[in-house]
Amino acid sequence: MAARAELTVPGALAPVAVGPAPAAAGRLGRLRAVGGIWVPAFLVAAIFFLCFIWPLIGPVPKPTGGSILDANLPSFSPGHLLGTDATGNDEWSRLLYGGRASLEIALAVNGLGLLFGGLLGAFAGYVSGWRDNVIMRVLDVLIAFPSLVLAVAIAERLGPSQVHAIWALLFFSIPAFARIARAATLRVREQNYIVAAGLSGTGHTRTLLRHIAPNILPQLVTFAFLGMGITIVLEGALSFLGLGIPPPAPSWGNMIAAGQGILSAQPKFTMLPSAALFITVVAFNLLGESLRARGDR
Amino acid sequence: MSGSPLLRFVGRRLLVAIPVIFGVTFLTFVVVSHLPGNAAQQLLGINATPQELHQLSAQLGLDKPLLTRYGDWLHGLVTGSLGHSLASGQSVTSILGSDLPVTFELIAYALLLSLLCAVPVALLAARRPNGLFDRTSMVVSMAGLSIANYVLALLLVYIFAVKLNWLPALGWVPPGKSLSGNIKTLTLPAISIALSLMCFYTRLLRSDLVGQLQGEDYVITARAKGAGTWRILVHHTLRNSVFGLITAVALNLGTLLGVTVIIEQIFGLPGIGHELLSAINSRDVPVIEGAVFVFALLVVLANLVADVLYAWLDPRVRYGGAS
Repeated sequence: MAARAELTVPGALAPVAVGPAPAAAGRLGRLRAVGGIWVPAFLVAAIFFLCFIWPLIGPVPKPTGGSILDANLPSFSPGHLLGTDATGNDEWSRLLYGGRASLEIALAVNGLGLLFGGLLGAFAGYVSGWRDNVIMRVLDVLIAFPSLVLAVAIAERLGPSQVHAIWALLFFSIPAFARIARAATLRVREQNYIVAAGLSGTGHTRTLLRHIAPNILPQLVTFAFLGMGITIVLEGALSFLGLGIPPPAPSWGNMIAAGQGILSAQPKFTMLPSAALFITVVAFNLLGESLRARGDR
Repeated sequence: MSGSPLLRFVGRRLLVAIPVIFGVTFLTFVVVSHLPGNAAQQLLGINATPQELHQLSAQLGLDKPLLTRYGDWLHGLVTGSLGHSLASGQSVTSILGSDLPVTFELIAYALLLSLLCAVPVALLAARRPNGLFDRTSMVVSMAGLSIANYVLALLLVYIFAVKLNWLPALGWVPPGKSLSGNIKTLTLPAISIALSLMCFYTRLLRSDLVGQLQGEDYVITARAKGAGTWRILVHHTLRNSVFGLITAVALNLGTLLGVTVIIEQIFGLPGIGHELLSAINSRDVPVIEGAVFVFALLVVLANLVADVLYAWLDPRVRYGGAS
């Protein structure tokens, strides 16, 4: 069921577990296991530093409002590490601020998705019966609902913006988290300590929050890391279609979309944000994957 | 509904699926009706007088209450009609009939490519778990899973259309006109979809193969007979592992429909995703509803087929009434 839930995340393919973690044979095996989590963790930390802290302390120009006199400077020009785009905005700065927008959206979507989806799924799995059925059928509707119609509707009705992109993406993350939480709760529910809690007169709310929630949390957090990668790709797709962050504010998706028109003349403007997107998603996927391998052991 | 457990299982799943389809189509009505402007506004343009607007709205039936319109649509559905496009007047069935083959061909091409690569790679990787080939293929497949399909599409266009000029970057040639032209126009879009699928299937199949090699009695028997790892993999293990793969393919069909929207947009393919986007822009409710209905139906059917195939192909799985 857990694998099922991950398979049906709309629009993106969740990576699958690659079976039992390689047997930690001797020192080499242990070293490999440690490197397997620290390398992606370092990469994620570096990306967060570059996108959130470096623009505050480093010599990074503003991502918008550049002078037309500086337009189309080549890479490694003085003051413009990666050159400037057709309106004179610094490309390096746009990459960093675009990444910041992507990461903010991904954090919000996965944080809120984990909280609400997790509670909903744990509740459904714990109470079972008709309430479980109703919740899961409603989530089925949301999962089968074409994501794009909703995204377009939100963008047209409320205007494209960062907050509205979060709303649109939450509709996919909450059902995904809820399915995983429900499956995990069904496994936990049969454990002796839950039975003991019930027999000793612990209330349902307390059992759910104090006994079930802490035990399903590791699985949800692991999925959240994989979900970060998925959300970043989906947010890029929304911005690419003009439904996410509106230009001139940078986002990797709208930068890739803008670069598409000049792909043959200046591939740099497509390739740079694409590479940034790729590296970030790889880092989150590797981190999620190694966390999962750790949890399976 | 008695008789075979399979029939009962399918029947129960279909009963569960019906409310889902009602829910999806109704939600679409609600969402679309909240969009600013309606089809009359989009058809008449910005200079329309309120009177003209009112008249056309009444003519198209847009002034009726939401529930009445949904009821009308359901009535049409039961009698086998999905209505007519508000923009062109064409019947929705004929519009979908001309779009669906494009999307299906694209998905079939992508699935074929991904499976043709995934099965041999997974077999080679599983032959020596943690060997050089296994590790390389796992790293490559992790990278492949992390490439967004729209990024890959642009990368492919840059390499194969702009630089090498081997394949077209845009457009669609019907198979009736020129089969080779048809395949050429679909190759880049299909690869854009296929790469991540291929990596996904490779990892899935490889992990299943390795798991079976390690723990199953029939593998030990085969080894005792003196069969080599390769022979065991191809003749025994693959047969067992293929169930999981087929289920994954069926489950993916639903998500693939969503993926095709953006790929069709990039490559200018006249498929159902492309149609849906333009229908939303012109507030063409019957076409939106028709496309959403087909999407939801396919997702539900794909899930059902996945479950049934799994149970049917693998006799160890039971359609338990309790679970």
